[in-house]
Amino acid sequence: MSPVIMGGEQFGERMNRRVGWIVGLLVIGGVVVASGATPSSATQDVPSDLATSVQAAVSTGIHPNVIATDNNTCFACHTRTGLTYELPSGESIPATIDEDRWLVSEHGQKQMACVQCHSGISQYPHETNIATDLRSFVVDESKVCVRCHEEQATMVSDSVHAQARAGGNQNAATCSDCHDPHYAVNPPISRMEVPATCRECHSGIYDLYEQSVHGEALTTGNTEVPTCTDCHGVHEIQGPDNSPFRLFSPEICASCHADKDLMGKYGISTNVFNTYVSDFHGTTVLLFEKYAPDQQTDKPVCIDCHGVHDIIQPDDPRSSVFEGNLLATCQRCHPDADANFPTAWLGHYEPDPHKWPLVYYVTLFYKILIPTVIGAMLLFVLLDVFGKLRRRRQHG
Amino acid sequence: MAERYSRFNLSDRFEHWVQVVSFTVLALTGLVQKWPELGLTDTIINWLGGIETTRLIHHVAAAVLLLAVVYHVGTAGYRLYVLRQGKLMYPNMKDAWAAVHAVGYNLGLRQEPPKEGHFTFAEKAEYWSIIWGTGVMAVTGFMMWNPIATTALLPGQFIPAAKAAHGGEAILAVLAIVIWHVYHVHIKSFNRSMFNGSLTRHEMAEEHGRELALIDAGQSEVSRPAVGAIEKRRKMFMPVYALIAIVLLGGVYLFLTFEQTAIVTIMPPEQVQIYQPVTTTLP
Repeated sequence: MSPVIMGGEQFGERMNRRVGWIVGLLVIGGVVVASGATPSSATQDVPSDLATSVQAAVSTGIHPNVIATDNNTCFACHTRTGLTYELPSGESIPATIDEDRWLVSEHGQKQMACVQCHSGISQYPHETNIATDLRSFVVDESKVCVRCHEEQATMVSDSVHAQARAGGNQNAATCSDCHDPHYAVNPPISRMEVPATCRECHSGIYDLYEQSVHGEALTTGNTEVPTCTDCHGVHEIQGPDNSPFRLFSPEICASCHADKDLMGKYGISTNVFNTYVSDFHGTTVLLFEKYAPDQQTDKPVCIDCHGVHDIIQPDDPRSSVFEGNLLATCQRCHPDADANFPTAWLGHYEPDPHKWPLVYYVTLFYKILIPTVIGAMLLFVLLDVFGKLRRRRQHG
Repeated sequence: MAERYSRFNLSDRFEHWVQVVSFTVLALTGLVQKWPELGLTDTIINWLGGIETTRLIHHVAAAVLLLAVVYHVGTAGYRLYVLRQGKLMYPNMKDAWAAVHAVGYNLGLRQEPPKEGHFTFAEKAEYWSIIWGTGVMAVTGFMMWNPIATTALLPGQFIPAAKAAHGGEAILAVLAIVIWHVYHVHIKSFNRSMFNGSLTRHEMAEEHGRELALIDAGQSEVSRPAVGAIEKRRKMFMPVYALIAIVLLGGVYLFLTFEQTAIVTIMPPEQVQIYQPVTTTLP
């Protein structure tokens, strides 16, 4: 099947709307009309000398900083509603651009030329050696972003998405999956919009997040709670399988939960991190972070007990760390544990005479015993040294 | 050659050096776990090959110390029951007075140092401290090593309490060795009896004046039983100890293998399909 420009009636069938907007410009770039032609005239008929004109325009060189082809040339065709481009796979690329929205977008305001990104188009009819299916097309098109957004692209290259794609997973997100190149404004994605953006591919995780203490707060307008990118990073997005992400995740939680000002607003204790690190599990994780950051430990991090995306308040009966659910949570790693076992973990509390008196008094006992015994020993030894010196002086 | 006075036989010295090695290893591998944030910990844990190896070494040294305890039950039991020498190590009022006397001597209130018996009050204090300390460390160590078994009988709080006691006792033990033992055995005068088993007459006069006087008078702190009686009790003791040793060794084996506390794999914290493209739009 050869690519053809099709009419509006065939437009938009089960098409990812965003992808459509992104890729529309591909086609635009090639539709270059003769100098002086107006968009209104071009929407009806493609001028016969178009191909020649395109060649003339691009011969000056299409480069990010060289605007060789006026956008109006592209818009002459690509503002027509229902414009699509059919790929060999049978999938269609929506190719219509909403010029008004484009003009107020970040790229539009910067007067970017269509052909700066759609640089593969240099003639009309357009080149046909583009991707054979829609997903490959989207991935290919996103490769041009690095020309201007090098810093972000470098970060992306270390991301779980880039690694997945390198491993052959075409579904892994690329630039335009998150950032609409035609209509995105600055800042590109607000905190409120982040989870919905990730939801496009991770709807299962989104559904969990939406019910979580963090997700619930965000949907009611509280932007102080973490969104996806606060934990996973923005462009250098990390997942649990590809990195020391799990090992270092307590630091991520601590970045908010050890912040006295932030936690003070919600009446949440900031001792959670200290008490974790001073316990066996946390000490081990801390030591792994320091000495073996590339290795995993089987000791739990915050999310192993509290849950990951569906994390909720510990006093909520649905929480995995709610008193009644704690044993089952411990048993995930300690299958033989029974009723008394969960209180071997002090629940992030510092021992005091009322909460965990035994631990408190044992600690107190040693706080008194150690200085008393060692003090007495030191005193005795120093007296002996003193006596020896005194006698030596007396007897020469 | 100067006259020498026997202090420790080969078996005693063997016990001592096993103790020295296991104690040192336990202290080194334990304190770094107590203070993971210290700079020196970095060096030691790296040198030992990581925290998991450090813990393994700690556990091996603990097992060695437990075996030394089983052995000591035999040697101490032999001295106590067969040789009837218990009196030598029991603390008594003479020890208390010797301590007071020593302080008075150092303050210039007394002209002569205390004259002590076979074991000085400083030695007895150290011995009983080690008995106490090893007991605390073994019990609390068992609790931390086997938290599921422990909490089957005791409230969960006993585990962190055991950890607090284990850490506190460790500090106490290490400081006591560094201050008390090192001073009395190495600094005050270098006591070589754990190397060669004996002391010189001069050293005996300095450290064990009362015992030396008794030896010179042909007497002893403890009356030595008749050979026949020793032999009779020895025949009784050996099989009983063999039985006790078997039970204790079984206990050590249990100590080390009592429970599988946790799985060793990493449980995925969440079961969710990662890639799940959206099918509905948000409200």
